[in-house]
Amino acid sequence: MKIKTGLMLGAALLTAGIVQAADSGFDLETVNPEADRKALQAYFKERFPKAEIEDYVNGIYAVDAPSREQWEALEEFPPYEFDIEEGERLFNTPFANGKGYADCFENGGIGIRHNYPYWNKEQGTVKTLEMEINECRENNGEKPLRWSKGDISRISAYMAWTSRDMPINIQVPKDDPRALAAYLDGKKFYYTKRGQLNLSCANCHLQGSNIRVRADIPGPMLGQTTHWPVFRSKWGEMGTLHRRYKGCHRDSRSRPDQPQSETFRNLEYFQSYMNNGLVSNGPGSRK
Amino acid sequence: MRKLVTAAASAAFIFTTFAMPAQADNHSAQIAEGKSIYLSKKRGNCISCHQISDPDANQAGNQGPPIVAMKQRFPDKRTLRAQIWDATRNNPLTIMPPLGKHWILSEEEIDAVVEYVYQF
Amino acid sequence: MIRKTIFAALALSLSATVVAAPDSYQDAFELNRAMYGKGHTFVWQGKEYSTDHPEEIEAAVEANAANAAALIASAKAKNAEVAKLNFEWKLTRDIIKKAEAAAAKGEFRKALNLAAQAKYHARMGIEQYHYAQANWHLSVPE
Repeated sequence: MKIKTGLMLGAALLTAGIVQAADSGFDLETVNPEADRKALQAYFKERFPKAEIEDYVNGIYAVDAPSREQWEALEEFPPYEFDIEEGERLFNTPFANGKGYADCFENGGIGIRHNYPYWNKEQGTVKTLEMEINECRENNGEKPLRWSKGDISRISAYMAWTSRDMPINIQVPKDDPRALAAYLDGKKFYYTKRGQLNLSCANCHLQGSNIRVRADIPGPMLGQTTHWPVFRSKWGEMGTLHRRYKGCHRDSRSRPDQPQSETFRNLEYFQSYMNNGLVSNGPGSRK
Repeated sequence: MRKLVTAAASAAFIFTTFAMPAQADNHSAQIAEGKSIYLSKKRGNCISCHQISDPDANQAGNQGPPIVAMKQRFPDKRTLRAQIWDATRNNPLTIMPPLGKHWILSEEEIDAVVEYVYQF
Repeated sequence: MIRKTIFAALALSLSATVVAAPDSYQDAFELNRAMYGKGHTFVWQGKEYSTDHPEEIEAAVEANAANAAALIASAKAKNAEVAKLNFEWKLTRDIIKKAEAAAAKGEFRKALNLAAQAKYHARMGIEQYHYAQANWHLSVPE
């Protein structure tokens, strides 16, 4: 076995700026989402003392001044503006049966983004906003939309827009141990090295969050899901969070999961919990 | 716990019946090949993390240590080869992909990269 | 100037990198493969071994249609195993396709070598999965 808790590993961990977790919890008996969330904030507070925790919703723009200038210029005429308008139009266009999206969601679908994803006890699974958009369609006799881009990202963008600045509020209900299991599954995915390149999400977005890959700094783990869907310059269009997940998973040279797989929904659940206390600020624009 | 030993002792530890293949004839071709692998995103993509003072290596990242003083840091070239082959042996959490162990590069490609970076 | 500073910092922080002694056959194999590449031999606990991967040894058979087909089938089976664990690598299916294309053209040596690589990738993915089960927590901040 490769890992030995010895001098060498201790030295390696210290070099990476990571201390072996004692209290974090790695199984169902010990895992503690709130402890994880606080530890993550503390980690970034130490790494970037000048950055305000609230500002992590803005990704690397919280920690990298030169890219922030470019991004602020971009945000003056946000590239997602048209998509929000189009999303609003789609949201308010009735289905063939006369009903609409507003009939499927709490509060008519307005100002609810910050509660997603959530644990659904009846169905025993994590529900994402995009998932419920498509369920709404199917329950009303419409065909589901494709998951990654296009109309689903526009509707999601509009719904996020109506929830801007609302504090993210992800719950891991204590009365259902399966919810904690889903959280733990997402956490485990984030920290697990995989693919031919042997990369975990944490390798770049935690451990490597202060150093460059070519000319770019990886987005910090804290705040990573607050601003989705995103108009990504590289795509030249809007895309959903799970589109990005799939791309990132593939970049580790894994055969990637598909959007809305249980794995990705659990990952979103874990990541979104980490952002509790930050505000929802989607849609966003990124390079 | 694994014991750290000196390079000399570890060399004595390992008995090999073959030497490295003769490379003198095509050394400059091998270095050129190593450079191409170093810079290419589809192959080694070493440049994404390691600075190197080659004028063709623009916008290198800094996730890993810069490629300097290689002969001092790796008096035994094979130790360098082993580090490229599998950096997780020394640091299981490293971001550096195990280029040999995961057969990302072929053994010949790794030899070429070793020759290229060993000049710096 | 910058280079000099970096150099000085490195000289201070890093003495010459040395190799830790292997602590198991697997580790000895990997270390020797890492240092010398394939086609070499090493001694572990008094016995001589090759640095070739088991899959490379499997591929070193007569290059004919039957042997190529057998190794391709075995690579596919191994890849199905790693896929079940959700640790399949991105390129493996393509490598198997290339092996099949080579075999179809009668290039059996090439087909055998590609199939060996694919099977090796699948085996490493399985190893990666088991390693992760035991060690994923090491990179979680406290």
